[in-house]
Amino acid sequence: MPAIRQHLRFILNGEDVSLSDVAPDATLLDFLRIKRSLKGTKEGCAEGDCGACTVLVGRLGRDGLVYESVNACIRFVGSLDATHVVTVEHLRGANGALHPVQQAMVDCHGSQCGFCTPGFVMSLYALWMRHARPSLAAIEEALQGNLCRCTGYEAIIRAAQAIASYGEAGNDPLVVERAAITERLRVWRDGARIDCGGRLIVPASVDDLAAIFAENPKATLVAGSTDVGLWVTKYMRPIEPAVFIGALDEMKRVETHDGVLRIGAGVTYSDARKILGEKIPELGKLIARIGGEQVRNMGTLGGNIANGSPIGDMPPPLIALDARVLLRKGSERRELPLEDFFLAYGKQDRQPGEFVEAIHVPLPAPGTRLAVHKVTKRRDEDITATLGAFAFRLDTENRVAAIRIACGGMAGTPKRALGVEQALLGQRWCEDAVLAAMERYADDFTPLSDMRASAEYRMLAARNLLMRVYLESVSGKAPVTIARDVAA
Amino acid sequence: MLRNERNFGSPRDRVDGRAKVTGAAQYAAEFNAPDLLHGYVVSSTIAKGRITSIDTQKALDVPGVLKVFTHDNRPATAWFSSSYQDEVAPPGTPFRPLYDEQIYYSGQPIALVVAESFDVARYAASLVEATYEAGAHETDLKLARAAAYVPPKKRQGMKPPASKGDAMAAYAKAPLRIANDYSIANEHHNPMEPHASTVIFEAGGKLTIHDKIQGVMNTQSYVSGVFGLPASDIHVVSPFVGGGFGSGLRPQYQLFLAVMAALDLKRSVRVEMTRDQMFTFTHRPETINTVLLGADKTGRLSALRHQAVAVTSRFEDYQEVVVNWSGILYDAENKQFDYRIAKVDTYTPGDMRAPGAPLGTFAIESAMDELAYAGNIDPLELRLRNYSTRDETTNKEFTSKELRACFQLGAEKFGWSRRSPAPRSMREGRELIGWGMASGCWEAQFSKTSAKAVLTSDGRLEVGTATADIGTGTYTILTQIGADALGLDMEQVTAKLADTTLPKSPVEGGSWTAASAGTAVQMACEALKKTLLQEAQKIEGSPLADAKYEDVVFANGRIAMADDAGRSLDLSDVVRHSGQSEIEEQATAQPDSKVQAQYAAYTHSAVFVEVRVDEQLGLVRIPRIVNAVAAGRIINPKTARSQVTGGTVWGIGMALHEESLTDHNLGRFMNHNLAEYHVPANADIYDIDVIFVPEEDDKVSPIGVKGLGEIGIVATPAAIANAIFHATGKRIRELPITIDKVLREAA
Ligand SMILES: Cc1cc2nc3c(=O)[nH]c(=O)nc-3n(C[C@H](O)[C@H](O)[C@H](O)COP(=O)(O)OP(=O)(O)OC[C@H]3O[C@@H](n4cnc5c(N)ncnc54)[C@H](O)[C@@H]3O)c2cc1C
Ligand code: FES
Ligand code: FES
Repeated sequence: MPAIRQHLRFILNGEDVSLSDVAPDATLLDFLRIKRSLKGTKEGCAEGDCGACTVLVGRLGRDGLVYESVNACIRFVGSLDATHVVTVEHLRGANGALHPVQQAMVDCHGSQCGFCTPGFVMSLYALWMRHARPSLAAIEEALQGNLCRCTGYEAIIRAAQAIASYGEAGNDPLVVERAAITERLRVWRDGARIDCGGRLIVPASVDDLAAIFAENPKATLVAGSTDVGLWVTKYMRPIEPAVFIGALDEMKRVETHDGVLRIGAGVTYSDARKILGEKIPELGKLIARIGGEQVRNMGTLGGNIANGSPIGDMPPPLIALDARVLLRKGSERRELPLEDFFLAYGKQDRQPGEFVEAIHVPLPAPGTRLAVHKVTKRRDEDITATLGAFAFRLDTENRVAAIRIACGGMAGTPKRALGVEQALLGQRWCEDAVLAAMERYADDFTPLSDMRASAEYRMLAARNLLMRVYLESVSGKAPVTIARDVAA
Repeated sequence: MLRNERNFGSPRDRVDGRAKVTGAAQYAAEFNAPDLLHGYVVSSTIAKGRITSIDTQKALDVPGVLKVFTHDNRPATAWFSSSYQDEVAPPGTPFRPLYDEQIYYSGQPIALVVAESFDVARYAASLVEATYEAGAHETDLKLARAAAYVPPKKRQGMKPPASKGDAMAAYAKAPLRIANDYSIANEHHNPMEPHASTVIFEAGGKLTIHDKIQGVMNTQSYVSGVFGLPASDIHVVSPFVGGGFGSGLRPQYQLFLAVMAALDLKRSVRVEMTRDQMFTFTHRPETINTVLLGADKTGRLSALRHQAVAVTSRFEDYQEVVVNWSGILYDAENKQFDYRIAKVDTYTPGDMRAPGAPLGTFAIESAMDELAYAGNIDPLELRLRNYSTRDETTNKEFTSKELRACFQLGAEKFGWSRRSPAPRSMREGRELIGWGMASGCWEAQFSKTSAKAVLTSDGRLEVGTATADIGTGTYTILTQIGADALGLDMEQVTAKLADTTLPKSPVEGGSWTAASAGTAVQMACEALKKTLLQEAQKIEGSPLADAKYEDVVFANGRIAMADDAGRSLDLSDVVRHSGQSEIEEQATAQPDSKVQAQYAAYTHSAVFVEVRVDEQLGLVRIPRIVNAVAAGRIINPKTARSQVTGGTVWGIGMALHEESLTDHNLGRFMNHNLAEYHVPANADIYDIDVIFVPEEDDKVSPIGVKGLGEIGIVATPAAIANAIFHATGKRIRELPITIDKVLREAA
């Protein structure tokens, strides 16, 4: 058994914080606003939707100390061990002046009522530290998770473009103090298990997690807390005892073995996007449509699968790619096709005490075409109305040699379109065959109507997506990626 | 004397910018007090009926809970419901929180748990158990409209214009005819800051209240009326408001609950709403318009009938101007207007950005677009053919109307002349392209407002009035006006707002604040200058001893002879010599009743929109909008542009996203969060070009200003819907135009 530490510690702006009496469901936002009276960080929704609560969390990762924007409202204090939390109060420029990000926001008129402003400032701060001169696309992505009800955004975008002219990152406190902070955090990562009164546990390693969870299968696993956070803030569900698994390095690994990408369950969307995006660009593009930057910096692939949601975005493309999920209980591991993991609405093939350790994604065979389309009511920061993921290969005679189609939002689970696949398999890849196959969606799915879309819409749009994939595959300029050498 | 306009009309940064980007600006829930208590609201789960019992014991057993207030044990408040009437209450019986066991709507507050900490209050609130006897509720306007009625008692200015001629007969004979229903969903304001009140219980029972309110005087008089305290015991201070858009015009229930608890427990109390509770008071009312147009072959209107029916609550007759806009924009020989409301089991709807205007404008401007296609006339040309030159609805001249210039400049900027008229005739890649336009107007109002101007002995000017700055830029424009008046730099001027100790003003709303508060500050400064000159002349050997007011100028912190700068005095010296620590003057700006009797004042806009529609999936993008606005003189192009851009984005929200979906079985709004109630995100916004058309107007207000808070949204939804028709050939008459409507609606 690893050593046990009964407190967690992190840096808050310039100050060391050590906490032993901390509730598992205490959010960072309440900690800042109520316990520390740091009211620059706002609460607009307490659900991760608005970004008013954006702060930075610096953590030691693969590339050293990285600062990421997160939603303090759904981030638990329990997940902060050995991190550096930075709030708007920490920003400053040279000689008492405003920080370049802040000055640009003032000069470009980036606020009206100002309530969203500190959140925008923090999102832009995180961006500016990564890119001194970000592209418009990078700016828009960094701001996906911030809502402003007043300004209409335009001025904020202009501010983002202007920041570089106000100062370089070199003088920024976080850059100046980088080495010292890194050192402090490294020392704090002492390999101990954290246990605060048995209510809040941070395992020392994956093996430690396996042991803890097998022994205490009723515990709530908390990875990125982009779901669990809402259980607390929205439904006041007790999560005690909570086991925080988001910082386990071993669960954050990505490796390629024998043409199979092994992605640790704790890999965040943001990390996955960088790595997966290179190997399977369509997945990278999809991830850019999940939540906002803050949610992507927290939410994990493992959580997106383990929560069993019918509208989770990663399962359909992973099913289309024939991914497998690696489950672990104690020292036992088993692997099963991801599509078999989802049994029914709210029910997965997962035993008490068992957790998702990794996802294994076979790299698409050469010549495989992959297309993923997520359809939402609002373009960004919206949950899927319907999602279609298509992986297929044509033979030399233009016949469909292999095809897997999986959909989100069309059933109680992410689900394959077996009938549609069958209608196409072996057929010539042509409009008539596609039109005929479109009819088969009705055999495969009986979607529901809800706030996001009507059943009728979902059915029509799902079918139209197949046609779109076909048209794009023949017109050439479309976002249907053809995997050539990725397996190499 | 010449008016100094060094700042007036020039782009200036917000004076409160620094406070906002650093997080230092304090909002209602952010004021602290020693031993502050926290209240958490428990909401009703049924839409109609009564509470048969409410069990608070489990909550009371939680350590740290002081009291659970319900209708059973609430302290006595005012006897008459009229005492609950606030400054902007519509006719009816205002909602009285925790008054009795009756439930009027889903989400109604039924208990307040007060505890030493927020977490404890929230947790204990989850333990309060109510049982109900549910009644049959109705929340569906389509059903309730059968019992719609003409509101017997009108809110001020809410009278539809008189009919003229015989609209139906003219319609029957008209060669071109349009008759359709146009509806708009319920919407919620959703300012980013949730409503909150912090009530500080001072020694002696006086209260200092930090309330999320668009007018502190309204909070003061409400609390005074309901709780029977003298106004002098109620000090309301709300320097920053995190957006309002109308939701903060009336004091909301969190204020009542916080004051009630503070007075009862003799402690300071804060009550904050959660985002889902933001859906439990006031909203823009679902409205169905019916418009009927008859025109000759050239498109000249002979018949215009505009009817509307909107929801209101069981207890108040909320009303807004919906149908009048048609009659202001267009004249027809034969006209008929009708506005009704229908009772449903929700909270009372309320004013939301440009209340009523985008709803009626969506209807008339969609119908005009349909008429344009029916007559094969360019939509812009059709509007010019029916351009009204006086306000027939009130039978008055316009103080000014540069809508024609809006059309011209907007169309030029947009490239309207290159439009191919037929629907579905423009396409790029998989997207259909549509160009649409619409026009709109909003009443330029002026409300009685007082202000003060104070010069201190260090030569600084402070201007102040009780109105709010809900983000619009009031602090900034008043600073500009004060600086110009006294010839100071803006850095030497401070604007004070949102404090009941300041001179009286109405709530900030209706786009009247810039004109009214701006004029009041200007007048107070003029009065101050006169006093300063008098004081200057009292100084022994004063170089200005024989100067007339007309002959001096205020510049660079000095009073000087206009024709002899050498004869001057420093303002701070004048104050010092007066023997006072500061010199203060106040003034009250009032609308000119003679002008009002003769003229009608409106802000106008013409909006041009390009949409791109992905027809297979029903997705709509809006790559560009040109919004050309005539709003009199613009005090600060920077804040002004921001207002109109923001308003235009609200129009995008109304057109494509915003909708409070009701589960009629439960009688409840379903999407009560920002994940499912979609306000536009950055990705929904592309190019928005705002043009201010020059408009001189010496009648609308002494400073020639009309106000800008509302006009941005007014014509935008209609222009978008018209562009979607042009792109797809699908006429969608129900807002918002969501993906399934675009996919479903037959071309
Ligand atoms: C604002 C916002 C926007 C969002 N947008 C999207 C979106 O566009 N698309 C989308 O798909 N999702 C979206 N989500 C949902 C969410 O981001 C995902 O479901 C996320 O992947 C969950 O991962 P997590 O690490 O945050 O999980 P957590 O919240 O920590 O956990 C989720 C569930 O999984 C369990 N769990 C976590 N890890 C494991 C594991 N390794 N083994 C077993 N069980 C585990 C937890 O116990 C819990 O039951 C959004 C969420 C928010 C707040
Ligand atoms: S408060 Fe809205 S995202 Fe956190
Ligand atoms: S400035 Fe008000 S929400 Fe952004």
